[in-house]
Amino acid sequence: MRERMRARWSGAALAGALAVVGAVAGSVSAATQLLGAEAPDFVLKSLSGKNLRLSEYRGDVVMLSFWATWCGDCRAQLDELGAMRDRYQDAGVELLAVSLDQNARAAGDVKGEASYPVLHDAAGEVGRLYDVTKMPVMVLIDRGGVVREVFEGFRRGNEEQYLERVQALLRE
Amino acid sequence: MVVKWIASVSLAVLAAQAGLVAAQEAATQTVAAVPEFAPRPDQSAEQRTEFRTLDEDVQDLKKQVLDLNRDLFLLEEELLFPSNTQTAVFISMDVGEFFGLDSVELKIDDKDVANYLYTEREAGALLKGGVQRLFIGNLKAGEHELVAVFTGQGPHTRDYRRAASLVFEKGIGPKYIELTISDKEVKQQPEFVVKEWE
Repeated sequence: MRERMRARWSGAALAGALAVVGAVAGSVSAATQLLGAEAPDFVLKSLSGKNLRLSEYRGDVVMLSFWATWCGDCRAQLDELGAMRDRYQDAGVELLAVSLDQNARAAGDVKGEASYPVLHDAAGEVGRLYDVTKMPVMVLIDRGGVVREVFEGFRRGNEEQYLERVQALLRE
Repeated sequence: MVVKWIASVSLAVLAAQAGLVAAQEAATQTVAAVPEFAPRPDQSAEQRTEFRTLDEDVQDLKKQVLDLNRDLFLLEEELLFPSNTQTAVFISMDVGEFFGLDSVELKIDDKDVANYLYTEREAGALLKGGVQRLFIGNLKAGEHELVAVFTGQGPHTRDYRRAASLVFEKGIGPKYIELTISDKEVKQQPEFVVKEWE
């Protein structure tokens, strides 16, 4: 009797553990699954009116940031990334800020004066391509066009991590 | 007491000097060490020949891989787009004083088949004489209608949107259609032409 009870509890515990593992595994986004692979290419119109293609930045370290005007963390992250880009631009670092807002004007009101290209993903296609399910997401792409890091979310202090990774890629 | 102190200091100095000499000899030995893989000056002619043969073999293999890659690409195209149904649309630009190309939308039989945004570099490549394959697909034999919508900056940097269309007959062989953007000096306007390649 006791053994049967023990067996039942063990089975339930195992099933619970497997469910948790499955839930965690299922929540890994496609963005992180791109690690080590070539970054999917895309072309979007920037707020300045120019069309910009990701693959034309081969040779530069690219910080690809997905953001929206309603996301406070996104704007804070962009401020840090923008400063980093201004500092290291001559060394071959670029920041592409992809706005997932419905309206390009909203993005322009917030980041219209930015020194870096702000792109508008009107149809959400690029967001879906990188499986952006929560924001902000920053994809770090090396000079060869390979995804090297994916940062999901932003907290004060993360910028040091970004700096360290960017410097490492510049040294390669 | 003083003598003992002087003796201990002298011994310490002698020991330090001995350590320094040993370190220098080790450094000299390290500097003099030659990596195992580098060809040594006294290497025989036979070994040098072997290196050259290996290098040639590697180059040959690389060439074979590239040739195979090209052949596979052509085969893939032939399988995906057999010549009896293949239809390709190309785009080219001439001069470009009156029109700055931004995007092209292509419809065949009222169905969107291509939508391309041009970067500055890509538009520049077209102006330099490049020809881009905008679309490749399969169409049944018979009559079809192609509509191309060009968006860009027209004369006096105004936004410009123009369409051009062509009704064509798809026969047995592959069909090639060209979209050409050129300047019409007489009208001071860009001209958009859609034509079939014979």
